[in-house]
Amino acid sequence: MTKIIEVDKLSKSYGPVKAVQDISFYVEKGDLFAFLGPNGAGKSTTIDIITTVLMPDKGTVIVDGLVLGNEDDKIRSSIGVVYQDNLLDRLLTVEENLFFRAGFYGFNKDRIRESVKNAILTTGIQDYAKQRYGKISGGQRRRADITRALINTPQILFLDEPTTGLDPQTRKNLWEVIRKLQRDREMTIFLTTHYMEEAAEADYVVVIDEGKIAARGTPFELKEKYTSDLLKLSFKDEIKGLSDLADWGITYTKAGDQFIIRLPHTTDALPILDRCRENLNGFEVLNGTMDDAFIGITGKEIRE
Amino acid sequence: MIALASRNIKLFFRDKAMVFFSLLSVFIIIGLYVLFLGNVWTSEFPNQEYAKFIMNSWIMAGLISITGFTTAVGAFGIMIQDRELNIEKDFLSAPVKRSSLAAGYLLSAYGISVIMSLIAFILGEIFILAEGGELLGIVAIFKIIGIILINSFMSVSIIQVIIGFIHTGNAFSAFSTIVGTLIGFLTGIYLPIGQLPTGVQTLIRIFPVSHSASLARQIFMDVPLKIGFNGVPEAAVNGFKELMGVTFFIGSKEITPWMSLCYMLLIGALFFAIAVMNLSKRKLE
Repeated sequence: MTKIIEVDKLSKSYGPVKAVQDISFYVEKGDLFAFLGPNGAGKSTTIDIITTVLMPDKGTVIVDGLVLGNEDDKIRSSIGVVYQDNLLDRLLTVEENLFFRAGFYGFNKDRIRESVKNAILTTGIQDYAKQRYGKISGGQRRRADITRALINTPQILFLDEPTTGLDPQTRKNLWEVIRKLQRDREMTIFLTTHYMEEAAEADYVVVIDEGKIAARGTPFELKEKYTSDLLKLSFKDEIKGLSDLADWGITYTKAGDQFIIRLPHTTDALPILDRCRENLNGFEVLNGTMDDAFIGITGKEIRE
Repeated sequence: MIALASRNIKLFFRDKAMVFFSLLSVFIIIGLYVLFLGNVWTSEFPNQEYAKFIMNSWIMAGLISITGFTTAVGAFGIMIQDRELNIEKDFLSAPVKRSSLAAGYLLSAYGISVIMSLIAFILGEIFILAEGGELLGIVAIFKIIGIILINSFMSVSIIQVIIGFIHTGNAFSAFSTIVGTLIGFLTGIYLPIGQLPTGVQTLIRIFPVSHSASLARQIFMDVPLKIGFNGVPEAAVNGFKELMGVTFFIGSKEITPWMSLCYMLLIGALFFAIAVMNLSKRKLE
């Protein structure tokens, strides 16, 4: 795999506040990469630096083989960014917005027309392309934002908390668009989010907390490493089951007729189930979620 | 650059509040004039027949000049908004030169200022005609258009330098309120320059927009004064011109139209240079 973004020892402070401290990570080409962290963790700062709108204090960033600080305009041509705020003009129609911003990329008139048309088709916003940006709904606005980011057919698409404040159905629709871009266009997606379920769908996750990288890995690896699974058993003969568990030295808690056993790994359930197979009434294995992993990593719950 | 400028112009004219507030001081002056100032002034004229024509021409000349200035201030509201709402970020993440962004904002402010001044000019002429006056001749119309172009250039340059110190929407509203309040005095429109104390008179003579007002008055009032003051001794006519700020004097020396023009162009060029210097400094940060 090729690394399309490499961030090395990146630091940025605002006066005494250290927004990002000495972070290093990379993103592989074609991945859906999630940058996960609570509010104020340094996600937006990092994205602002990589997308060339903020100068870092220290560290190097290489985007698609281009060095940040030396080849910024080339980087800008190969990325598309959806920032946290809605940044199109409310008093212009979606299409007017797109035409205007397509003009930033040095395209000629035909190319501008074509790229606006293609971008609109990709995200499927034909129905409200001629409406004013200020008059459409939040979800439609987000879709329009993504359309704007696609106007220069970027290699990498950055999305800074794209689904914050949207209802579940709209979020789902938006995710379909993002997924499709990754699959059909082989686009690299760099996403920041504080929604666990979104991070759980990524190919690779970096968790940032208080300006430092707290953990990294695939969602599966993170869950394996930072969460425990729960095995719930119910026995035909409770007295026997109880003494068996005690004999095998397994600690448990009891809730109603269920015995709950905490497991470091999902596979640890197998020997236990084997041993008490005869006496089992039923069982359930609950996997740790990304929520649990996040709490395990940062020691805090994510709040919106 | 042109794309940004035309976007800004579109945004400005679609934002009715923005257009309204950039013209607020103009509306206030019109209101005051129509309600009572006009009557007070015209009642003092010996020849009542042409009094209205003379005073309408006088007020319209002043209004065109301040329209150029206050709408240029309003136009920069878009730049401030882009900064405050972080829309600038979207521009900065695209491969577009910082200098052409800055030029785009300047160009749109200039465009808006010129367009609004021309509209004010047309409406002013209609007003004068409707009140029984006459339209300007062709040569005079072109002279006024020339003054509008220079006045807008000068205004945009001055405001651009001041805007360099303004970063928030609140500071900007404060600035435009101050401009709106003071400009009627600084150009000698609320009260004619001759009725003000010497210190204020000096201030008016220094304020560059007064010079476009004075030049515009000379053109607007040429015909009405000739017919309205027919037979009045020249010394009295000159006295009236001095009182109303049609011509400025320093001591007993009259400031000629060419001197005013040079002053405006000089101020415009000077502030333009400062603005360009500030912009290139900002790039280095």
